[in-house]
Amino acid sequence: MIGPAGSGKTTLLETIAGIIPQRSGILRLMGRDMASVPPERRQIGFVYQRGYLFPHLSVEENVGYGAADQSFVRELSERLGVTALLQREVRGLSGGEQQLVAIARALAARPRILLLDEPFSALDPRRRSRVRRTVRALHGELGMTVLQVTHDFAEAGLLGDIAILLDAGRVLQSGPPEQIFRHPASAYIAEFLGAENVFAGEVRVLREPGRETAREAADGGVVYHRPGAGAPDSDAARIDDRAEAIADGHHAVEFRTGPLTFYAVGGADSGPGHAVIRAGEILLSREPQHSSARNNFRGTVSEVATTGALAHVTVEVSGVPIVAALTTRSADELSLSPGTAVYVSFKAMAVHLC
Amino acid sequence: MTYAAAAAVLPRSRSSHRVASVVAALLASLFLLFLFAPIVRLVVSGGAGGVTRLFTDSELRGALWLTAVTATSATLLGVLGGTPLAYLLARRAFRGRAVVAALIDLPLLIPHPVAGIALLLVLGRESAVGSALLQAGIRVAGSPVGIVCAMLFVSAPLYVSAAREAFARVDPRYEAVGRTLGDPAWRVFRRVTLPLSLRGLIAAGVVMWARAVSEFGAIVILTYNPKVVSVLSYDRFTGFGLHEALPVAAALTILALIPLTLLRALRPESGAGVAP
Repeated sequence: MIGPAGSGKTTLLETIAGIIPQRSGILRLMGRDMASVPPERRQIGFVYQRGYLFPHLSVEENVGYGAADQSFVRELSERLGVTALLQREVRGLSGGEQQLVAIARALAARPRILLLDEPFSALDPRRRSRVRRTVRALHGELGMTVLQVTHDFAEAGLLGDIAILLDAGRVLQSGPPEQIFRHPASAYIAEFLGAENVFAGEVRVLREPGRETAREAADGGVVYHRPGAGAPDSDAARIDDRAEAIADGHHAVEFRTGPLTFYAVGGADSGPGHAVIRAGEILLSREPQHSSARNNFRGTVSEVATTGALAHVTVEVSGVPIVAALTTRSADELSLSPGTAVYVSFKAMAVHLC
Repeated sequence: MTYAAAAAVLPRSRSSHRVASVVAALLASLFLLFLFAPIVRLVVSGGAGGVTRLFTDSELRGALWLTAVTATSATLLGVLGGTPLAYLLARRAFRGRAVVAALIDLPLLIPHPVAGIALLLVLGRESAVGSALLQAGIRVAGSPVGIVCAMLFVSAPLYVSAAREAFARVDPRYEAVGRTLGDPAWRVFRRVTLPLSLRGLIAAGVVMWARAVSEFGAIVILTYNPKVVSVLSYDRFTGFGLHEALPVAAALTILALIPLTLLRALRPESGAGVAP
């Protein structure tokens, strides 16, 4: 479950656990209405972000609080890497250690459902991936459902079968993370998920649907938009990638955002909308790309931001910033720096309209 | 501001700060003097005699014993009845909570003889409850039972409000976690809430006990005899004068150090039971 601060994530978890009484709606667990079932009989484990270890108990007493069998406590402690902490006082633990112990404590009670409220936030990256793997493995072994709140969409994608986007107490979109990532239902979701290029503009369906358009576009023509240039010369869209056949019900469309016009594949409706292009789908080159019909533009690099192996390069095209993600190595090879003239290209299929 | 300007201003502001500190220290000293001078004077002039009286004056020893027993009984009753109330006030939002919270503090505002009169109306020989109790062989007015009732009435509000604060300091999420780990509410209270608030509750009990021990106004209306220490010191003063009252008063002041020390030791640790 992902959502901005204050969207109701913790409240939803607390309602599911029975800590907060539900005011309306139906909560069913294993097909049974939970409205009148107290939290202690729901068999739901709950881990708050800050752990909430009982400060008057030792670490071992915390882990064993709701556990029926001690050997499981020891096994869990081992797998989560908290065995060395068991004899310690809670007060002396770091934030990350407290989170680990809290997860162990919740699991030791053998819940059927585990609710995690940003449980890995205080862990260092190495431990985080280890604990993620352990939770993922236990999820399978114990046959328990895990509902986890996170700020990190990558984490949701890594751990989750289903991602739920929450905002202002409402589900905006839910489904397999990959699908949400590729096809966000709105520009807001796209931006929330960290899509670098979200444009507001106008969609126009170019031709009658179907194969014809795709075949016609297969001539491999290149469309260039130079700064100040208007729409492409004709409606005969040169849709890229002859290999990517346009599925039935989809249409070659044109998307205008400010001075920029590019091609995409969308539904049958013209009108205002948003176009989302992930930075990883944007190609940069120093020479014009003649190989296939793509959305091709010429622009000027305005910013290069490098984080580790990835470089985010912002290119101004007719005053519209387009962000491309490439490996730092590729960025070096292209010797990109602010002011460099580059060619930007992306497939029509890479443009997601919403 | 230039450096020169800053240098010109700085000493003045620093010296005005110094003047303020001196004034504050002076006021604080005067205030402390006012609070402690009478006590020190009392112990200095009556202390030796007071300690001797603790061994020789059987009426004083009887009064001390009676005070200890009644104050402790009142405190236990207050803890028994006040703890659930304090928990409800700290945790549950119920209709009329604000009214109850305000009513609890009311006895603190009533002059204590007035509280005694009010109790006499309800528990005295003439009253329905009082006569019923008398039928059952329990005399309230003029007996240790009356002392306990008076003490309970005036000091229980202190316990309830202090206990309520002690519970409020425990983050309810600890209880939530306990529930999800399989404990029903009462067991979470025993395993989590109580240990986390225990110091605060004991401190609240000590405050109540101290208040009960020092009570005079309500007790004197309900039960003049047998005499608790406050009534005894008043009795000695009116009957025999300052000379006779002084050692008794000094002895009581010295004994008051015991709960005071206890209270200091129980002051809730910072961070105890508070969210990590």
